[in-house]
Amino acid sequence: MINLQELRTRARDLLTKGEVRAVVGYRRGSRGMAAEPVVITRPEEAAQLVWDPSCVHNLALYLVEDRKLLKHRRQTPDKPIAIVAKGCDARAIVVLLQENYFKREEVYILGVSCEETGVFSDQKLMRRFGVNSQALTDARFDGTDYVVTSAEGEQRCAAREVMAERCLECRQPFPKVNDVVLGEEKARTLEAPFAALGRFEQTANTQVARWDFWKRQFDRCIRCFACRSVCPMCYCEECIVDSITFTVAPDTTAEEKANRVRWIQRSATGSENIGYHMTRALHLAGRCIDCGECERVCPVHIPLRLLNTKLERDAREKFGYEPGASIEVASLVSSFRDDDPNDFIR
Amino acid sequence: MTKKRTGVFVCHCGSNIAATVDVAAVAAAMAGEESVVCARDYVYMCSDPGQNSVIQAIKDNQLDSVVVSCCSPNLHEKTFRENAKAAGLNDFTCEIANIREQCSWVHKDRAKATAKAIRISLSAVKRVSRNLALEPIGIGVTRRVLVVGGGIAGIQASLDLANSGFEVVLVEKNATIGGHMIQLSETFPTLDCSQCILSPKMVEITRHPKITLMTSSEVQEVTGYVGNFRAKILKKATYVDPDKCKICDDCAKVCPVVVPNQYDLGISARRAIYIPFAQAIPASYTLDESSCLGLNPVVCGKCKDVCEAGAIDYDMQSRTVTEEIGAIVVATGFDLYSQDHLGEYGHLENAVDGLQFERMCSASGPTKGKVLRPSDHKEPKDVVFIQCVGSRDPARHCSYCSKICCMYTAKHARLYKHHVPDGRAYVFYIDIRSGGKGYEEFVQRTMEDDETLYLRGRVSKIYEDNGKIRVYGNDTLSGQNVEIEADMVVLALAMQPSAGTAEIAKTLKIGRDKDGFLQEAHPKLRPVESVTAGIFLAGAAQGPKDIPETVSQASAAAAKVVTLLSQPRLIRSPTVARVRSRLCTGCEMCVDACPYDAIHLENGKAVVNDVLCEGCGTCSATCVRAAIEVKNATPLQIQEMIGAVLSL
Repeated sequence: MINLQELRTRARDLLTKGEVRAVVGYRRGSRGMAAEPVVITRPEEAAQLVWDPSCVHNLALYLVEDRKLLKHRRQTPDKPIAIVAKGCDARAIVVLLQENYFKREEVYILGVSCEETGVFSDQKLMRRFGVNSQALTDARFDGTDYVVTSAEGEQRCAAREVMAERCLECRQPFPKVNDVVLGEEKARTLEAPFAALGRFEQTANTQVARWDFWKRQFDRCIRCFACRSVCPMCYCEECIVDSITFTVAPDTTAEEKANRVRWIQRSATGSENIGYHMTRALHLAGRCIDCGECERVCPVHIPLRLLNTKLERDAREKFGYEPGASIEVASLVSSFRDDDPNDFIR
Repeated sequence: MTKKRTGVFVCHCGSNIAATVDVAAVAAAMAGEESVVCARDYVYMCSDPGQNSVIQAIKDNQLDSVVVSCCSPNLHEKTFRENAKAAGLNDFTCEIANIREQCSWVHKDRAKATAKAIRISLSAVKRVSRNLALEPIGIGVTRRVLVVGGGIAGIQASLDLANSGFEVVLVEKNATIGGHMIQLSETFPTLDCSQCILSPKMVEITRHPKITLMTSSEVQEVTGYVGNFRAKILKKATYVDPDKCKICDDCAKVCPVVVPNQYDLGISARRAIYIPFAQAIPASYTLDESSCLGLNPVVCGKCKDVCEAGAIDYDMQSRTVTEEIGAIVVATGFDLYSQDHLGEYGHLENAVDGLQFERMCSASGPTKGKVLRPSDHKEPKDVVFIQCVGSRDPARHCSYCSKICCMYTAKHARLYKHHVPDGRAYVFYIDIRSGGKGYEEFVQRTMEDDETLYLRGRVSKIYEDNGKIRVYGNDTLSGQNVEIEADMVVLALAMQPSAGTAEIAKTLKIGRDKDGFLQEAHPKLRPVESVTAGIFLAGAAQGPKDIPETVSQASAAAAKVVTLLSQPRLIRSPTVARVRSRLCTGCEMCVDACPYDAIHLENGKAVVNDVLCEGCGTCSATCVRAAIEVKNATPLQIQEMIGAVLSL
């Protein structure tokens, strides 16, 4: 486990010395131990920071929000922004850096290693203890088990019973790209990568069965766009699935407004929902780093990880590509290799 | 948007389209579209009356856009755009609906094909309604040419171009030009001496004021575009100054290193410092770095000590030269299929390949023109020639016919009989392919005048036995099994692209075919052009061919270059990519994806170089933000075309 005091000291020092303009991290929420994201700008606020298995959010999203706000205000930051980043958050930051969304020197990565644990799944907590993280007052990992405290008192269970699925399958719990990192890089073998996907493919093992499965999933999508809003990779100003995001600038002509391409209608009907989710999955190919946030925030529980990890696995198997592994390499869909498995181009 | 006035012209293409598609129904369906004010069909729209009717209809109906439903735009897009222009419209307000290759030729059901032709035509109507009037982009031209490869193809192309008044840079990887042709003894079908007909051309290369010859050099990088390429060429150190070298041979006499001479395909040996052959161009010795004891006077230094001319310089460095050129001719030639692939044929001491046999027969060769078998240097009395070794064997080797082997085997058999009149020559063949002026007569003379025994069939077994080679086969004409006790076997190995072909194709961004030969732009109509504008192909790098064909293709490539570089300005298509700056986040995915290096970032936004852009649309497909699109093929146009095709 990492030393929380050290995290707070690091954050405070960064703000005291004026090295960063803000720190994005987690603090205790209003109910139970459940953490919530926070942006602190004053040194004394550093005492609010927490780091525990309820820190589920991918904070890289707030770097994107910060960029959008700066752009709106026409500001150029003079200092970097610091961010508490676990393995998956750091991978997301790598993809954003790879896509030049901001520069490396504009972000200070305060890495925290998940070591051999991960974050909770509220659904799994409910299943195991009948409460979610908002009803817990404490949780710690003792090396093999989770020890959680609630109104029922102290209870124990194996880590995998309450850990989020993506953490069980995590390829890189250690934030490789960082400015400072707390905790150690530890090998872990809870579950093989893509294990959940493999189980799904064994159950739904025909094309027809899979189509039935996905039709059922997408049919209940209410198009709240929570998955898009929570995704740090969905930072396009204009999203083709949703005409209300069309940007209008002073030089936008009436004809341009009238002629906007509406590939997908906004109505939450079957075909439009499929169009939305398939487009999103393809736009995330080689970019999704499996933080699992889309699936976590879905109010109707669509298993979006299955879709995203399928593309991730294809990219790994066919092209040896790992999203979020390196800032320097070209993105999956924009690069071509001479040993490409397809021979249609030489 | 003001209402469009589109005309649709549906072509019968004789019966090519009309047999499968109800062209009148297509025209009628188009006439019912809101934006279409005129729709008609005609038997040959590309004929003179057809074209005139298009021009007249544009004028009569005050059309502002034109759709021609006919063959592929590769064929007649230009024709009908010219018609639109002649009638006063912008060229780019004319689009082609391909209802032949993409419809009538691939379908049988008339009703369904007609329905499809209607949808294809409708999608073109939708597209053209949003086409912008564009002006072609004009660019300047560098009137210099790079020729890659100094074999007969490269030599011929260089001379033709230089004689047309263009400056030529001829780059050859080896120490001398001449290629494989200079290794040959005599050439079919006239049996004139190969060296005697090629060496005058080689001399002309060095003497020509317009030609810069760079031997021991390789093209490393080519950037730019048609008319304006920039090539980086690595000139490797040869450690001998060709201007000072007197070719006195003193250095080779003292050199202690002996290695196989690759010019004689290992039949003879040479020193580390050597001249490939007497007529080598440039006429100079060259020091082979890989076999020299170390370019270090402390270790050896004998050659430098004896060189009175002071031509040897161990400190000579490789250097990179940059050349500005307007066009490139690629003539990188062939290699023989490696004997290593051949299993039991491959490692017989007395089985030689065609080029080794040529060296033996050559008057200037290692045996001074005597046919001697490698193991004991005795004159072979029974020689078996085997054709199609590695060719026409899709299961194990190359599926293609190497084209020249029938002829050179006939030539080899004759040369052998001329050198060893009492010897016996046998040829195993599958078919004899002797198409070409004087070729069939040549083969007949080999059989009749020179008494060569032709056996139709493949060799079934071959092995060394007591100093002889036993060759088993079947003569399929007589149905007899054949067994020959041969002194020597000559293998007519397949031709394959030379070792560096893949590399140069990658450097130049030109395609290769399934066998690895350089891909021509069109197999029939553009046989000497590569798929990349401004780069032309000559010789065996494009496919197996003999000397007359190679020379023809080299001259053809030169003529194409002259055509290109004679234009005052080159016209580039204006249907290039355009960045929607507001949406661009500067992720650089398009920069990485662009095959033409046409996109770069400026102030964090993508910018397209209109001249480099080929309008391929890869950037548009890559951009997840839809921030880049190709003019006249915008997402809106594509969406409306899809809508038309799906009848939405």
